Amino acid sequence: MKKYLVYVLTFMTVVVLGLAFNAAAEEGITDTEIHIGQWGPQTGPAAPWGAVARGTDAYFKMINEEGGIHGRKLVHHYFDDGYNPAKTMGGVKQLQEDIGMFAWVSGVGTAPGLAVKDYLMDRKIPWIGPSAGSRHWIEPPNKYLFNTYPLYLGDAQLLCKYAVETLGFKNIAIAYQNDDYGKQGLEGAQKQLAKSGLKLVAEIPVNVADVDMKPHIMKFRNSEAEAVLLFVGPGHVARLQGTGKAMQFEPQWMTSTTCGDIPLMMAITKGGYAGTILASFGMMDPTAVGIGNIEDVNASTHPVLKKYHEEAFKKFAAKEERWGLTFAAGMGYVEPMIEALKNCGRDLTREKLVAEMEKIKDFQGIMGKVSFAPFKANDPSCRIGQTTVFLAQATADAKAKVLTDWVKTEYIPMGK
Amino acid sequence: MVDFLQMVLSGIAVGSSYALMGLGMVLIYKASEVPNFVQGEMALLPVFIAFMLLSTYNIPYYIAFPATLIFAFILGCFLEFAILRRAKEPNILGLIIITIGMEMMLLGFVSWKFGADQRAMPFPISTYDSIIIGDVFISSLDLLTLVVALVIMLTLFLFFRFSRMGVAMKATQMNENAAALMGIKTKQIRMVTWGISAVVGCVAGLLAAPVLVEPYMMWGPMLKGFAGAVVGGMTSLPGAVFGAYIVGIVEHLFGGYISIEFKSVVAFAIIVIVLCIKPSGLFARHYVKKV
Repeated sequence: MKKYLVYVLTFMTVVVLGLAFNAAAEEGITDTEIHIGQWGPQTGPAAPWGAVARGTDAYFKMINEEGGIHGRKLVHHYFDDGYNPAKTMGGVKQLQEDIGMFAWVSGVGTAPGLAVKDYLMDRKIPWIGPSAGSRHWIEPPNKYLFNTYPLYLGDAQLLCKYAVETLGFKNIAIAYQNDDYGKQGLEGAQKQLAKSGLKLVAEIPVNVADVDMKPHIMKFRNSEAEAVLLFVGPGHVARLQGTGKAMQFEPQWMTSTTCGDIPLMMAITKGGYAGTILASFGMMDPTAVGIGNIEDVNASTHPVLKKYHEEAFKKFAAKEERWGLTFAAGMGYVEPMIEALKNCGRDLTREKLVAEMEKIKDFQGIMGKVSFAPFKANDPSCRIGQTTVFLAQATADAKAKVLTDWVKTEYIPMGK
Repeated sequence: MVDFLQMVLSGIAVGSSYALMGLGMVLIYKASEVPNFVQGEMALLPVFIAFMLLSTYNIPYYIAFPATLIFAFILGCFLEFAILRRAKEPNILGLIIITIGMEMMLLGFVSWKFGADQRAMPFPISTYDSIIIGDVFISSLDLLTLVVALVIMLTLFLFFRFSRMGVAMKATQMNENAAALMGIKTKQIRMVTWGISAVVGCVAGLLAAPVLVEPYMMWGPMLKGFAGAVVGGMTSLPGAVFGAYIVGIVEHLFGGYISIEFKSVVAFAIIVIVLCIKPSGLFARHYVKKV
């Protein structure tokens, strides 16, 4: 009888300990690893933004080389979704259900992100730093989704404010990509100009497939625009500026953070990008550099960016990889998560990560200051992250002249 | 009036690039009876080769461009010889699938080998210069494209009319069995046709590259060239040219006067209308199936 009692007790102990272990173990976490997922286009028309995921990868490897986070290494799983939402969904489900991710980071594009947002939120899986400045990430806010990319609305507001108040322009026009990105730029510009009693003199949509920009330039020329906002991709900036120059239409070009890789832009426009004013979300600190001074992303004075260039890019990036804004942004979007993971300590859970993310106040790495707040279902600002941008101007030698300090932009809710 | 003239001139300029792609497609359609969806990538790979020769190896234009055209010719011949010819008794659908497969292979190769970053190719003339006639502008590059397109059209016309090879090609296209009985090496002719088509497409690619080089750069011109060829008639070389110019001009007028948002899709609306009214295309003789 005693013998059976020992067996039963042993069995029950194993079961109870096993259950206790299961209850404590968080998906995507082991004693030595934290599994993080990410998608990004490595092929297809949006492939230039594939550098974001590769930047994150190099950053994680740098952290692992420094010893990881509380004894655990970051295991980065990223896949090519080709900017195709169906592939994004398939890839996320596969990684989540086959391997089990603790959290997801970045992920390029509004459409791919929207395809998986509900899937991740329904399962209470944290997703930090989507690589697109879309209002969809914070309106309505989700407990497990933290935005770090400043909204495109803010870029347009600051650019218009500068064009009107500093440059004294009255005729401002916009070329906007016919999607969420471009339409946010359009809305931000309309709202900002209305404050000065102005309206956009031309609002010209650009479809992703458009290659011939002559009709667009004709409309701008007829509108007598003094400044043209370009809320389009880098390729369309090159086409619009090139066609404009050929048709002798050369306004003050202004563009968003999306086209902020100055060396790339200078190369593809054959120097035509010089003089363009751009909104920027980081990679330099205008407060430290000083207004009117010039900064070079390839020889940055920013101490954190310099470190990433030396310790992450030079050691872990592929030989043919190019150091630039897009690659570095892959690190910037996820810096707050690394900070929160460090603050979580060894006892890591998703809820604890969320709690630590919510405690982040004025955190600054290579981007602007990032802050979050405890979750409130009707307050987008608790998940907005970075609300400041600054303006710079591309110089003829592919550097950036600082035009403003960090400027806080106003959040405009959807439909208002 | 100035706007109207500007739009027509811009339409003709962009139509020249479509015309070159359309010509390439019609050449192959007449030889192999297949709409060639690898036409864009047959230009894309040589363009990246030219970019590499010019930017990485600093080879002068007068060597890099002819070398690129020779490469394009060999590539076209290779695709016909190594892949298309190997298809066993394929039907039209099978051939189309093969060209789509080749398109994906070449596009994948270019993306893998050269990366996805956008670039601008060095070119002997500036993409920013323009010529002003009255109040109407035409960029130097557009003017060059127009002239080159006209020269290629004239050369093709003379080639098919007066050269031995050209006449053999026409004979093969008209009736392959009869041509073979007359001693024409029809397989060789078909292969050379693919080579010439690749060269014509490559010229269009080289003229587009000074603005932007990226893996998907030839997709738009290929579709517009295809639209032009369908409008003009897939069996008519002059038809493809006229069709392409019609697409270019209508696209610009539509963008200027009706909706710039839907400018890109107007070419495909034209295809639908033409196919409903005259299925063989505006300039082709009535469709006759070879048996």
